[in-house]
Amino acid sequence: MDRRSFIKLTAVTGTSAALASCGNPENQLIRFVPAEDIVPGIAVWKPGVCPLCQAGCGLTVRVMDADADVVRNGQAGLVRIAAAKKLEGASDHPVNHGGLCARGQAAIQITYHPDRITQPLKRSGDRGSGRFEAISWDDALGDLARRLDALETAGNQRAVAFLTRPGAGFRQTLIDQFVSRFGAPAPVAYELFGDDVQRQANALSFGRHQVQTLDLANTRYLLGFGADFLGTWNSPVAQGAGYGAMRQGRLGVRGVFVQVEARMSQTGANADEWVAARPGTEGVLALGLAHVMMAEKLVPDSAGRAGAIVAGWSDGLVDYAPDRVERSTGVPAARVERLAREFAATRPAAAIVGGPPLAHSNGLFTALAVNALNALVGSVDQPGGMSFMPQLDTVAAAGLTGSPARQTIERFAADALSGRPAPDVVFIDGVNPVFTAPPAWRVREALDQAAFVVSFGSFLDETSVLADLVLPDHSFLESWSEAVPEAGAGVAVASVAPPVMRPLYDTRATGDVLLDIGRRLRRPLELPWQTFDEMLAASFSALPSATADADAWTDAQAKGVWSGPLPPRLARQTGLASPARRTFSFEAPRFDGDAQQYPFHFLPYPSTAFLDGSLAHLPWLQEMPDPLTSAMWSSWIEINPATAARLRIGDGDVVEVASSQGALQAAAVITPGIAPDVVAMPMGQGHRTFTRYASGRGVNPIEIVAAVTEPATGALAWAATRVRVSRLGPPDSRLVRFAGGMREETEERR
Amino acid sequence: MPRWGMAVDLDRCNGCAACVVACHAENNISTVGADEAARGRAKHWLRIERYWEGEFPDARLTFRPVLCQHCDNAPCEPVCPTYASHHTEDGLNAQVYNRCIGTRYCANACPYNVRFFDFFNPSWDKPLHLQLNPDVSLREAGVMEKCTFCVQRIQAAGTQASAEEREVQDGEIQPACVQSCPSKALVFGDLDDPGSRVSQLSRSPRGSKLLEDVGTRPKITYLARQSQA
Repeated sequence: MDRRSFIKLTAVTGTSAALASCGNPENQLIRFVPAEDIVPGIAVWKPGVCPLCQAGCGLTVRVMDADADVVRNGQAGLVRIAAAKKLEGASDHPVNHGGLCARGQAAIQITYHPDRITQPLKRSGDRGSGRFEAISWDDALGDLARRLDALETAGNQRAVAFLTRPGAGFRQTLIDQFVSRFGAPAPVAYELFGDDVQRQANALSFGRHQVQTLDLANTRYLLGFGADFLGTWNSPVAQGAGYGAMRQGRLGVRGVFVQVEARMSQTGANADEWVAARPGTEGVLALGLAHVMMAEKLVPDSAGRAGAIVAGWSDGLVDYAPDRVERSTGVPAARVERLAREFAATRPAAAIVGGPPLAHSNGLFTALAVNALNALVGSVDQPGGMSFMPQLDTVAAAGLTGSPARQTIERFAADALSGRPAPDVVFIDGVNPVFTAPPAWRVREALDQAAFVVSFGSFLDETSVLADLVLPDHSFLESWSEAVPEAGAGVAVASVAPPVMRPLYDTRATGDVLLDIGRRLRRPLELPWQTFDEMLAASFSALPSATADADAWTDAQAKGVWSGPLPPRLARQTGLASPARRTFSFEAPRFDGDAQQYPFHFLPYPSTAFLDGSLAHLPWLQEMPDPLTSAMWSSWIEINPATAARLRIGDGDVVEVASSQGALQAAAVITPGIAPDVVAMPMGQGHRTFTRYASGRGVNPIEIVAAVTEPATGALAWAATRVRVSRLGPPDSRLVRFAGGMREETEERR
Repeated sequence: MPRWGMAVDLDRCNGCAACVVACHAENNISTVGADEAARGRAKHWLRIERYWEGEFPDARLTFRPVLCQHCDNAPCEPVCPTYASHHTEDGLNAQVYNRCIGTRYCANACPYNVRFFDFFNPSWDKPLHLQLNPDVSLREAGVMEKCTFCVQRIQAAGTQASAEEREVQDGEIQPACVQSCPSKALVFGDLDDPGSRVSQLSRSPRGSKLLEDVGTRPKITYLARQSQA
């Protein structure tokens, strides 16, 4: 502070004191007294919930004083606030046990991002132009309520669409209530790297429509089929903890890990043995192993329901003899037999499938095959195997009834474009389908049909930039946060945490906004809560208390988590009404693109840093070297060395990747960890509009992915596109790597 | 007086890079952006290295987190004309930023490539600066910076322990990287306490030091990744 501003401030203080009799003196003095429950220089630790993925990891947030330009009590100025400083994993959280992944560590940059939307906005230019002007919350919500009232008057409630991310938390339950009480169709849920195929397979095999939890810490032989369980899939921190214990947590016992995948993922890089099966044939390999185990009587033949729905199981899977498996998968017959014997001989053993193998038109079959293999070795619901974690039914906990339904985004877009019904008001919460859906689904064109698009986003991304009204949410550190994980622990878990800090800007919690809109309608929605935290309080109060001296709600808020045995009436019913009536057999995967014209399989994979691209706006993650390539701030395409030599592509050269859908340019990274007929590219970059750090950087692989789907679930088969690759020119500045080339001898080879 | 060191179990480490970002978050390491990163100016006190062996389909990869090895016989120390790079009593290889005049001799002498030069004053697009850790000083242009084993956490734990009139317990001090690690691959503690976890792990037959034969006597022990028996 310089002398001049000191004098100014002294004058203000004096005036404030003089005005004390006619105003509220506390409000005037608040600039100078740290009011936010904080002692300068002393750190306090508060619970939080990581919002970045479905895992629902618990946080411990370090909070200290900081001077921030904020509005407090109607005055803008430099105020000493209580500010989050560092996110740590909560040490006693049943999912993450004190760990926190790279993305979770960087989540704090969401709150302090310089391009956050700081207040409600309404569109002032053409749709998509990115030109907005300020609007007050009252005007914004009033305008929105009037539009919804008009739809209600016209009996056209079904012209409302709500786009959200999948999940089973309280926020989703509130959205369900909002939508159904208004009379709108079920929300549209979309996640590019979602687990719909897996859930469907688990429902068919085990009667549980849920992603499984792995007991890695106790397993002695783990057979992975493409699942990047240490990087991006399911509950990576919980699985990382289990992995560490599996390798070195038991005296004299080291669990073996074999990974089957055509491109070595970060997880596959840790395998003792890496098996590159042909894309889309992983299920054949799984059944080939089962065949050997049954033929050699290594295990009892029974695999229950999971086996019964696989065609040919009762005949010992004669179609999956090792020589036929070799022809189909490219894995030598002798290796199939050896792996089968090892897998059968070691107890406990478990198989896990996820990611690319399920992103084919036959993904459901692949998941069913691996499920049957698990059932065959008796790993279901056993220590060291896989199980289904009890999950809180948020609908029942909130005192409501009904089971949530979801529409696919493909159907939403198709309906909107065919005008039945033309969407009038579209809400968007937590998804960016314009970026993450294949262009052939025409999501952007579908949103253009909507009369009024409302986004709850904190940033202008490719989808929210199309909004007519932006109602920015608080950051997760500024609002009540919650998560109800579907996997990752042995007991039911519901994370919840009060706001860690006061909001920096004129934002509002989306849950509160939905409840507010519901009250403003001409025919109010009559939801039983005034605010989102009232909903949480009512729901957590319905849970059994874990300690004798506090009720469940008080205890959960203090710890950041509730966990324990669930009364049956509060457990989510994940079973299917009736088992499948048919059996499933291998069908060759369907690929977009002719094999002659497009000789390579194209694999867009979830980036370690950005997942599906929703985290590309965080500078720490942009500058984090990718674990497999050390690339930063870049896009790249991974090519096998032999393929690169044949195409005369050198490391770092600029290449073009073209599919039937279009073409992209990126730098080549030549790596031995990929099959010769596969090229791979991480998702995440290629944003047109997504803050100063991500906009205009790299390319988005989904732009050349064709709209092949898995038929039973409608999930995008994102690994089912074929491409051709050609060299365009020498390395330029587009690829930035922290280390040099991939190998030390690269220089000598040149 | 303790002698701080670390053990890194490469059989637990799976290359997830949680430690890399945790280090940035704790130590006020500024990002430099794509253009400067392309000129080799990105700063990562802790990085994940990759060791590829074999060719497709028998390729094998091992990750190795590399940070300052806090050598007992540190090549960076005697070359510093201002004693900015020096050894503390508790065995840390410390850097006094206010003494540093930016000769970069230390970075040239270090065989591990873990010292980073600040080519410009650090800057954060507001309000990203609100995240800054007040316990860690910012480094200005012309200064070398490096891993400190999170000395601020070491000192805070020591202060707390002496206020409570007790010794610092084993495991009480966790540098940011150790704390974040999901698979518990990193263990920090007092190498002179024979009962501490880190000193037990450092005596493991799987243990080795990075570039042991150059005679730097590092205080980080890497426990080898094992193979399928």
